[in-house]
Amino acid sequence: MLRISNFNLTLQDNPLIKNLSFTIDNGEVLTLMGPSGCGKSSLLNYLSGTLETGLVAEGEITLNQTRIDNLSTQERQVGILYQTPLLFPHMTNLENLLFAIDSKGQGLNKVQCKELAMSKLAELGLEVKANNLPTSLSGGQKARIALLRTLLSSPKYLLLDEPFSKLDPELRQSVRRFTLEQVKKANIPTLLVTHDEDDVAAMGSKLIQLNHLNHK
Amino acid sequence: MIKQSFFHYFAKLTCLRLLSILITIGLISPIILGLAGTVLPAFDYLPALSHYTFSLKPWHNLFQSPEVYGSLKLTLISGLLATFLSFIIAFSTIAVFYESRWLISIRHTLAPILAIPHAAIAIGLVFVLSPSGWLVRLFSPWLTQYERPPIWVSVQDPYALSLVLALIVKETPYLLFVILASLDQIKTCELIKVGTSMGYSRLSVWRKVIFPLLYPLIRLPLLVILAFSLTVVDLSLVIGPNTPSTFAVTLFHWYNDTNLDKRFTASAGAVLLMLIILVSALFWESCYQVITRFDRYRWSNGKRHTLFAPLLKGAAFSYIICVVLALLSLFVLPIWAFTQRWRFPDVLPSSWSFKKIEQLSPLLFDLACVSLVIAFISTLLALAISILMLEQKRLKPANTKWFDRFIYLPMILPQVGFLFGIQVFLIWSNNSGSLLAVIGLHLLYVLPYVYLTLSGPYLAYNQDFYVQAICLNKHPTASFFKIKLAMLKPALFSAFALGIAVSFAQYLPTLTAGEGRINTLTTEAVALAASGERKKVGNMAMLQALFPLVIFMLAQWLPRVWTNYRLNFQSIFR
Repeated sequence: MLRISNFNLTLQDNPLIKNLSFTIDNGEVLTLMGPSGCGKSSLLNYLSGTLETGLVAEGEITLNQTRIDNLSTQERQVGILYQTPLLFPHMTNLENLLFAIDSKGQGLNKVQCKELAMSKLAELGLEVKANNLPTSLSGGQKARIALLRTLLSSPKYLLLDEPFSKLDPELRQSVRRFTLEQVKKANIPTLLVTHDEDDVAAMGSKLIQLNHLNHK
Repeated sequence: MIKQSFFHYFAKLTCLRLLSILITIGLISPIILGLAGTVLPAFDYLPALSHYTFSLKPWHNLFQSPEVYGSLKLTLISGLLATFLSFIIAFSTIAVFYESRWLISIRHTLAPILAIPHAAIAIGLVFVLSPSGWLVRLFSPWLTQYERPPIWVSVQDPYALSLVLALIVKETPYLLFVILASLDQIKTCELIKVGTSMGYSRLSVWRKVIFPLLYPLIRLPLLVILAFSLTVVDLSLVIGPNTPSTFAVTLFHWYNDTNLDKRFTASAGAVLLMLIILVSALFWESCYQVITRFDRYRWSNGKRHTLFAPLLKGAAFSYIICVVLALLSLFVLPIWAFTQRWRFPDVLPSSWSFKKIEQLSPLLFDLACVSLVIAFISTLLALAISILMLEQKRLKPANTKWFDRFIYLPMILPQVGFLFGIQVFLIWSNNSGSLLAVIGLHLLYVLPYVYLTLSGPYLAYNQDFYVQAICLNKHPTASFFKIKLAMLKPALFSAFALGIAVSFAQYLPTLTAGEGRINTLTTEAVALAASGERKKVGNMAMLQALFPLVIFMLAQWLPRVWTNYRLNFQSIFR
């Protein structure tokens, strides 16, 4: 369960968000909507520990009753997905998935890691493209592999920053469905930031509307 | 009406195309002439000296020369080592300090060090590092117990270590500048976030993700640094070893030998130097390919931490040492310029004086004027040519294909051989020793830097603004200057400042085309560097560093002030 309490965000003495609190249960998706500049992405960055300089934020983040806002990004075990899938272009699709697996932490050897990554590619029917570079994939395939890569790193919570916005409407629907399935399977709290109201309906999630200091 | 405007448009396009062809020919011809003037004498053919038959005698003489092998060894070691260390330091500095406040401070140090000519930095370093230099004085006698300068060789050392240090001090900021510009192209911030969110340490992400994406983008600048380090003359003359000197300096001495037969040997050496650059570049690239092949497995082995972390942090720390050395070198120049009496081991002079600068002022004034005239004309020409060629490239990239292929050659070819090839042509055409010839040669070296600096912002410019201006009934030419170039003002100013700095730094082109009749602050400073007249050299080097530095600062300050002034001026009449 991910919980944020009394979150405040200030940009050059101008408060953007005041006293925001919410809880996301395991396997649940919470959607955050709001106009540009209201602090959505900054909240996401605060949750991931990558808040840019110039912004002042405070608020307690607890993950399964453990406080994590004082931890660095690499210690938080957070999964992030952006508008662009950000598959590493110099690595093959398989290597991209292998990159995410913590072999030491999960007690896997080289062969087991490869089998795990290949099984994920097989889920998408992309085994044949294992040794190809990400340029060989379509937009939808890239989005799916990016999600699987994130989940392979065994995150404790997931942050989705408008991950469907660059997909065409048809593809968007199927990737949404795929994401929801995977999130349920992973059973971790997920925060989705979006501009698209259809995302809320499709994900069947709770909604927080941020409106320049008015949270609904 | 339509017919007439079509004719005008067509005529303009043809005119532009014709101009770009002429410019391309103007760029390619000296390069070909320079190469021919070097390669032909290397095979004993130079009609001007009554050598009409081809032979391998110059090569035989070259390999018979006793200093060649020592020179070659020094050149290879210093060139490769300086490039490798500059690269490691620059990459580590960015990797360690990226997204931190330190990086902002580091960015501030780049422009001044980039602006200062190599020779000025080298002279400053000699003043700092020599046994009687500032560094020893700072720690003497309280720590070192030295009452007299120690007897050690810390500059012009036989292993060329001081030369390597000078190259690192000067080239690392350039590489940092290039890396910072390249990082914008690969979504660095997001990639770091993705990597660290998976539990990787930041430095691991830099090693496994950012480095493989970054390297292809900085390959050309790295090769330029490698070529420069292998062939630099002015820096080596000031701070490099003497017996033997680096290969480029050996060739420089041979070219200037009163025995004209030495020119043939020097030409063979120049061709050999070109081959060395080629082989070194191939070696460098093969090393990268081999390392990448072996390292590829590690990219996806799942290990979250890198063993290289302490190494990267150490290398990043050494950049701070480089900056401190560069700043000390800069500060020591005016100190020597205004010194009357400065005994060892005093940290500062015991008495100051304007006497030396007053004594030298007529000479300094002349040298500064000549340097400025050459720099301004060559840079303005380079700017005009760059804008014209980039406009051509925007309209039809195929039209600048040959220009793009040849423009970087002067940066890669060894000046020492290539320029003496051009000198043969200048003597033949009776242009040697003229201001025009010096400006022409400066232009050849200023143009690639100006073109490179301007091309990114110019080609990324949103042409819709210009179209919008024409639609608003503005004349195309007026729109071009008042809208397009006005919007590109910061980039134009930066390119201009860089052009001035490059022109000020030219030593061999001035010497080759000027034939000693046209002297600049750089040629005089380098010539005097070995004389031991520290006050005189300090004055020259101070001015040599001062002008590009001031112009660099103005270039950053003026566009902003200009806009503010214009807005304030307009508001008065509102």
